[in-house]
Amino acid sequence: MIALVGKRVLGLVGTLLVASFLVFAVTEFSPGNVARKTLGPFAAQESVDLLYAKLHLNDPLPVRYGRWLGVLTGVIADPLQDPALKLDFKDPRGDRYFGNFGYSTLYKLPVNDVIWNRLGNTAMLAGISFALIVPLSLLFGVLAGMREGSVLDRTISIFGIIATSVPEFASGVFLVAIFVVALGLLPGTSPLTTGGGGWSIASQFVLPVTVLVLYDSGYVVRMVRGSTAEVMSKPYIRTALLKGLPFKTVVWRHAVRNAMIAPFTVLLLQINFLISGVVVTEMVFAYPGFGRMLLEASLFGDIALIEAATLVALAIATTTQLASDIGYVLLNPQIRVR
Amino acid sequence: MNDDRDNAHIKSLAKDLSEKKIDRREFVRFATLLGVSASAAYGLAGKISGEAFAPAARAEDLPKGGTFRLGNRIKEIKNPHAYSWGGYDSNMSRQVLEYLTFTDDKGVTNPHLAESWSASPDLRTWTFKLRQGVKWSNGDALTADQVVWNLKRVLDPEVGSSMIGLMGGYMLKDDPSQKDAKGNPKQVVWDANAIEKVDDQTFRLNCKAAQVAVPEHLFHYVMAILHPDDKGVFQVGSKGTGAFDLVEFEVGKKATFKAKKGYWGGDAHVDMLEMSDTGDDPTAAISALASKQLHGLVFGDPLQYEALSAMPHLQLYSVATGETIVMRMKVTAKPFTDARVRQAMRYAVDQAPILQVALHGLGRAGQHHHTSPAHPEFAELPPFTRDLAKAKQLLAEAGFPNGLDTEIFVPTDNPWGQVQVEAAVEQWKEAGIRVKITLMPGASYWDVWTKVPFGSTIWYHRPLAIMTYGLAYRTGAPWNESDYSNKTFDELLVQAEGTLDIGKRKEIMAKLEKILQDDGPLVQPLFRDTFTFMDKRVKGFSMHPTNYFFGWKVGLAEA
Repeated sequence: MIALVGKRVLGLVGTLLVASFLVFAVTEFSPGNVARKTLGPFAAQESVDLLYAKLHLNDPLPVRYGRWLGVLTGVIADPLQDPALKLDFKDPRGDRYFGNFGYSTLYKLPVNDVIWNRLGNTAMLAGISFALIVPLSLLFGVLAGMREGSVLDRTISIFGIIATSVPEFASGVFLVAIFVVALGLLPGTSPLTTGGGGWSIASQFVLPVTVLVLYDSGYVVRMVRGSTAEVMSKPYIRTALLKGLPFKTVVWRHAVRNAMIAPFTVLLLQINFLISGVVVTEMVFAYPGFGRMLLEASLFGDIALIEAATLVALAIATTTQLASDIGYVLLNPQIRVR
Repeated sequence: MNDDRDNAHIKSLAKDLSEKKIDRREFVRFATLLGVSASAAYGLAGKISGEAFAPAARAEDLPKGGTFRLGNRIKEIKNPHAYSWGGYDSNMSRQVLEYLTFTDDKGVTNPHLAESWSASPDLRTWTFKLRQGVKWSNGDALTADQVVWNLKRVLDPEVGSSMIGLMGGYMLKDDPSQKDAKGNPKQVVWDANAIEKVDDQTFRLNCKAAQVAVPEHLFHYVMAILHPDDKGVFQVGSKGTGAFDLVEFEVGKKATFKAKKGYWGGDAHVDMLEMSDTGDDPTAAISALASKQLHGLVFGDPLQYEALSAMPHLQLYSVATGETIVMRMKVTAKPFTDARVRQAMRYAVDQAPILQVALHGLGRAGQHHHTSPAHPEFAELPPFTRDLAKAKQLLAEAGFPNGLDTEIFVPTDNPWGQVQVEAAVEQWKEAGIRVKITLMPGASYWDVWTKVPFGSTIWYHRPLAIMTYGLAYRTGAPWNESDYSNKTFDELLVQAEGTLDIGKRKEIMAKLEKILQDDGPLVQPLFRDTFTFMDKRVKGFSMHPTNYFFGWKVGLAEA
């Protein structure tokens, strides 16, 4: 197990290196000039060129990538924090430490001051959603799968398909129209601050969580249902039933555990989706999260922030992958990981 | 200020007013430009025309207390002198930092931190007297030295302020002895004495050329007056002369302002001002207003108009502006090198239906000359209407009897501009002009906006039409995106910029407008009205043509 984890960590570092370089290379081809965007369309070209040079944006790609890597590992000092540049970029942690993601040109703050707060907000949204998606989709998936073709199965399947085929921006607007505009029961946006209209923080979570749970569990329910139905048709289930065990015990003890292997992977993949794929929900509800930040950084061309966000998202993805591999072993002793 | 009223320009304005060549509003607008205080100008106007002037609702009647919540994008605000666009950022710093002058929602430029000013008859020397008793948050008094520091700072190219675009022409010169990064001569203030401190309360601008709009330039959103101790940085705890202090700030989330005691203009009506970011999605702001999480938006998006006007607890505020999206043709790119082609493009469009689909009618028809009725020097020409036969004939004369094919580049960051182009393309089709639309993300378009042969460019409101003309249509101007060059136009423009007599200025404007209609590089079907929605509890608010928000003006009634 330790060897497995070690190998995975090494693989992760390799993946991160390749991905971070790719992000640099891709932004090279994406249009837009950070200096122009900082100063705006009304600034004179000379001022834009000056800022461009100050931000070291005209250095060749390998030089900029090497510098970024050096700053991240704390080998070299962040050149943008040099007071002589008059950029007023200051990091209370100093200009040289391990894990220095550099300075966000969009937010004009050290990336470390921007990203963790946003990630925390999204983790909260994702956590609550995930805590609902897992039991709900398992319950309904098993209920539907244990008697394939029954009325219960058909009903759950139809609702699942509808829920998952309505995109988040549509279900979001739809729920807002009902619960915010027509009924006035819930707040329409989730800034995570109290005050405006007297809505509590908890009430601000209801709609975004509902949208995510509806969208995501519809899909997972289908997965669980399929897997359960398959297991239920296996000979050992029939044997168990024929030898007189109660149906409930058969489903619980014999079917569910075996049916969980495929959905388990899918469920863990949902964590990745919930961290970096919830941009749409965050936009609809003005939720100050990670996805919205990543989108804004990409539109602006804020390379330091995009890099940091990519690395974080990749690290989460690799970690959940590792967790699912370990989970396999626990679910099915036949599987051996080397 | 009795001596100011003896100024030759004021006398000529007064004469115009008594002969009804200008109306009272125009008189006030131009008299205040020359330094007569607004109340004195209104009084003078009343004396001359004999009409009484109804004062605006008294501010003291507004309800006191409460937290006002405004929907705004919380962008980075550190460097007010180099803000990229005043719509979001300057509406935050504006609550703390103030300007020397104040151009109100009717286009009248009033005294603000500068209590009065006067111009020499040649319009090259402008003397400003600062208001007594203005205090910074730390108790320091406002001095001429501090103002001079601010003016010198914005005119330094290293700061990257767009004030250079406005004032460079009359305040800067190239210095060949100093080079910038690209080896071009560095721009420096044209004379050591150009920005002159007269005494502790007075400073003077000695300009290289005549300029009528100096007081309006001083209200440009980057011309905020900072305390020199703050070194040009605005953040929580920065000193300001305004009615509020910034107490909390987080990019992308919120900015909180606390009203301070002893503001020179009288304390603000509300206790707190809170601005929250609802993101790029315009529907999020709708939801926030629906659940009363916000009291209003800093400005509305046409996409939000229908949903918001259906909510009974909201009130619409709108105002005519000079904001427009021009479909401009590069006169150096074929087929637009031929003035007849450009003219045909104009004759082939019909403004009214475009106004309806692009803005739900929230605007007014443009006359293809980029001067709006919201501008004081607007000269009304006979309406320019659609004439398909003429368009076809002009095309045939230019050598395109079977019509022509071309391509327009359109940024996607202003949805109404995109709709405008789509509508115009349909209309052009009927004249045989087949235009392919190429959409680009805003960021990409703004890298090439002065380079594309045919593009759709937004131009925001500026208080005077001659300011836009100088930026966009003068030969060789950096933002002359269409490479337009017309000697007569340039000469008339210089004349207009040095002419104060409103009747004479309008005569020149009529010629300038006509040149653009006949020969100009633009198809410009409409001007936008800027608008917003506020909760009916909000009192004292009025929409400003440049979307500026003033926290000290508003009060909040009980729910």
